[in-house]
Amino acid sequence: MLKRLRENKSFQGTLLVSPTLLWMIALLFIPLILTTIISFGTRNADGGVIYGFSFHNYVRLFGFSTDCPGGQASCFDPLYANILGRSLSLAFWTTVIVIALAYPLAYFIARAHPKRRNTFLMLVLVPLWTNFVIRVYAWMMLLREQGVINGIIGWVAARFGVQFEPLQMLYTPGAVLVGMVYEFLPFMILPIFTSLEKIDVPLYEAAADLGANPFRTFLRVTLPLSMPGVVAGTILVFIPVMGTFIVSDLLGGKQVILVGNLIQNQFLSARDPTFGSAASLILMIMTLIVTYFYTRKFGFGEEIIAV
Amino acid sequence: MSKSTLYKLMALVVAISLVLAACGGGGGETTQKVTSSGFVCPEPDSKMEVSSKELNLFVWTEYIPTEWKECFELVYGVKINHDEYSSNEEMYAKLSAGGTNYDLVQPTDYIVDLMIRQGLLQELDQAKLPMATLDPNYLNLEFDPGNMYTIPYQAGTDAIIYNADKVANPPASFADLWNPEYANRMVFLDDSRVVIGMTLLTLGYDVNTTDPAELEEAKAKLAELVPNVKLFDSDSPKTALIAGDVDLGITWTGEAFTANQENPAFVYVYPTEGAILWQDNWAVPVGAPHMDAAYAWINYTMQGNMFWLMLRDFPYINPSLAALEYAKGNQPELYNAYMDSPITNVPQDAIDAGHRIEDVGDATPLYDQIWTEVKGGE
Repeated sequence: MLKRLRENKSFQGTLLVSPTLLWMIALLFIPLILTTIISFGTRNADGGVIYGFSFHNYVRLFGFSTDCPGGQASCFDPLYANILGRSLSLAFWTTVIVIALAYPLAYFIARAHPKRRNTFLMLVLVPLWTNFVIRVYAWMMLLREQGVINGIIGWVAARFGVQFEPLQMLYTPGAVLVGMVYEFLPFMILPIFTSLEKIDVPLYEAAADLGANPFRTFLRVTLPLSMPGVVAGTILVFIPVMGTFIVSDLLGGKQVILVGNLIQNQFLSARDPTFGSAASLILMIMTLIVTYFYTRKFGFGEEIIAV
Repeated sequence: MSKSTLYKLMALVVAISLVLAACGGGGGETTQKVTSSGFVCPEPDSKMEVSSKELNLFVWTEYIPTEWKECFELVYGVKINHDEYSSNEEMYAKLSAGGTNYDLVQPTDYIVDLMIRQGLLQELDQAKLPMATLDPNYLNLEFDPGNMYTIPYQAGTDAIIYNADKVANPPASFADLWNPEYANRMVFLDDSRVVIGMTLLTLGYDVNTTDPAELEEAKAKLAELVPNVKLFDSDSPKTALIAGDVDLGITWTGEAFTANQENPAFVYVYPTEGAILWQDNWAVPVGAPHMDAAYAWINYTMQGNMFWLMLRDFPYINPSLAALEYAKGNQPELYNAYMDSPITNVPQDAIDAGHRIEDVGDATPLYDQIWTEVKGGE
């Protein structure tokens, strides 16, 4: 055994990856198969699963109903399709805003004096030491009608003798967007920082020698070379935002139903695991499709360096 | 090592052993068992035979006084493991998935019915339970006739709350909540059954209807109201009320009582259509490994001199006559606050007019779809 281990390289490899492999099989692959099987079943009156092979959960998810209020044979109700669309658009806008905010900051940190760089990186990381949910509650304190932000504006307004009506910020879609951007910003800053930091300084000098102005240098040198970071960050932000429901629950006042909320409701209040499983699979497939086309265009983040 | 150091060391050893001996002796002599908060644990009225060494509770978040746990551990020498849930659905999902080993759960009425049908609960031996200490109004209800599977824990209502300082024309009925004056000032429970049920009541339908036409009508009516609701919150609606983010809404007994104690401007109204009534209960899941400890727990905590702590910590409708009796003599302040408030001491006509949520079986996904539609369909 030991001899074999010492000599056989491929056996060594198998042994090394087997813990991860077992983990993936037990906690990802098997649950995924179960989810698929359940999604083709039907719900019984008490919320159990009658196994079978029926597409009705998927048909319902995409808005085709056989149970129409008017009594006709079939009708179209884009309720769940709208929810999927809304989640996609929220994830898209969150990612765009996060890139816009993270890029300049990452650039600033990467160009900072190496002594200060670590301090700045720590400042980005420190908020992550606090629990996700607690940070969302902190935003509630800031945004509420009699919260910190309205308090400060009101105080300033009173000093200048201006009439001030508190802003309605909490429990609005805008609050959800702000919360999402805040939560996922570090996951964009770090990969962009890493790829910016790797760019050799002589490349800039060469660009300048060849007559490129700073703007052109940025467009032709910095931006292409930092794309791997942007791509990696986008994947790290877009996918979790698609499935998150805590932020929309707390900051949106449960007014906004996203696909994450939809799935949660199926397993709890609706007690319909079959529909919930179908929605989970569709979420996964949709995310995979978006990621596939995105990575096909931009790569997974490494190949671009060679260009 | 010098001789004097050795003597000193020996003296120290002797001194320590004397102190330890004194402590040991002293500990054996004390008969009073006191919790870390200084509460003196009462003796059990009749100490039961318990051979289990553990008790696994699965209870609502923040729903049992901390003294109970400490006292039970001190008195019975049983270690308590304590898991929490924040909705009946969550508890049901966990139990029906199997593989749990809980001894006691706290299901609400409508889910009891379902759990009995699913064979998740086991029959209780009434002879071993303190049935006589309970108000008969809370026994033998429709979800568990004859209390074969459950014993009442706490009861409550879902009704309207408003801030009298801010709401000029207070609502008297659920139908009044459609008043445009209240737009964007309301908090509702994030509970499809309660909110759709309330809408059904305003239309004169049954709160547990499964008729798709009636539900369709309720959906249309509710769709007019939902944009006027600022916030859905089933965890702590009083927070937004007290913080001033909203001025009125729907909430439940305990939240209303606490809000009212904090600011008397908060008024709780039983709507003319009738409030929603509910009741939480103790029940034992099938396969509970420590039945003896579960019976001992129920008997010990439901003694009047223990259950009065519920009046202090969780101001709901208290079904224990023994606890009210004890509080009357020993905690007059708590007792009077409880008896004087219509939130906890519910007027009989409000109870008579009330409605109970029941499981709706096949219509459950329809309720959820309506809920998703009115909330999510812009």
